[in-house]
Amino acid sequence: MKSNTLNQCTIGFSEDDIIEAMRDISGYLDITPSDFKEIYQIASRHALERLKNSVKAEHVMTTPVITAFEETSILDAAKQMAHNNISGVPVLNNKQRVAGILSEKDFLKRMVHKDGIVRENEKDSGSFMSIIAQCLDFRGCLAADLKKLYVKDIMSFPPVTVEKSISIMDVAAIFESRKINRVPVLDENANLAGIIARSDIVQAFC
Amino acid sequence: MIEFFNKMKGGKQSPPAVNLSEILWSWLGAFLGITPVAFLHYNMFSEKAIVLIIGSFGASAVLIYGAIRSPLAQPRNLVGGHLVSAVIGVASYKLFPDAVWLASSFGVATAIAAMHATKTLHPPGGATALIAVIGGEQIHKLGFYYALMPVGSGVLIMLFVAVIVNNLAKSRRYPEFWF
Repeated sequence: MKSNTLNQCTIGFSEDDIIEAMRDISGYLDITPSDFKEIYQIASRHALERLKNSVKAEHVMTTPVITAFEETSILDAAKQMAHNNISGVPVLNNKQRVAGILSEKDFLKRMVHKDGIVRENEKDSGSFMSIIAQCLDFRGCLAADLKKLYVKDIMSFPPVTVEKSISIMDVAAIFESRKINRVPVLDENANLAGIIARSDIVQAFC
Repeated sequence: MIEFFNKMKGGKQSPPAVNLSEILWSWLGAFLGITPVAFLHYNMFSEKAIVLIIGSFGASAVLIYGAIRSPLAQPRNLVGGHLVSAVIGVASYKLFPDAVWLASSFGVATAIAAMHATKTLHPPGGATALIAVIGGEQIHKLGFYYALMPVGSGVLIMLFVAVIVNNLAKSRRYPEFWF
């Protein structure tokens, strides 16, 4: 699905555009506009194919990764995320393996429910606006209630992870299908090697 | 079957016209390129038949002065196309000396195939091969030397002029590649 979108971006011009371009280039070009279009379309398919296979997760991932531990208090985790201006971190267990992901969304989900029980079926769970609505409704702002919790209590798990050698087209597909914004990258030994955010994919293509 | 006839409709757009400076540079290049070739041939070769080859050079002039970006107009194609075709034209006549009509078609067709195979496709090569066959006694006497003179010599003069004149224009460059 992603690659289709990209295809359309690159070949979305008309024969008139090509004729205009041919006018801009002085000299007689020994080619018809439709031949050029055909060459261009095939060439961009090849380029995409090359990108698809040649740019791997390890080429675009951010490293080193800022991480949290299962036993970190979520106050410290929140401070750390705020300090580094990031919206999510992989969570490591005591074996240094990725055990989960902690993101803004995990905080938000908790804050709309007084007792800390996540009611997944509630439509308004976990959005910033639902928290504003709750505050205005005099039910209180509930971040303080989270104080005694640890990262492992609110993190999302099992985590979605990818291997270093996976192509970024596949990473993009995972973002789309799993509705996530970042994914930890693991090396051959399943240790954390880096992290890829959605924006890293965009940068890889531009 | 309908597909077959549909293909004859064309229906795609033709490329735009070139601008005035391109027209003038094409004219100048062709004028300066054909002048020495024609002058030399008319003064050096008394045999009228040999002058026929200028017809083939006229066709080359369209490409190397008028469509200089074309792959067909690059040095490899210009020189290679003429030489390959000249040799094949001469050989074709030697093969079928008693059937000029057959030597003609066989020569041209084989020249095209050979130019394709050697990546030297150059349309005037077809004329060069044909002239080797239909040029008459005087050209037949040259044998394979036909490929060197007048064909090779004329081609080199035209190429020399093309490299000079085509690069005088700011908006032009020649060649795109040599080989």
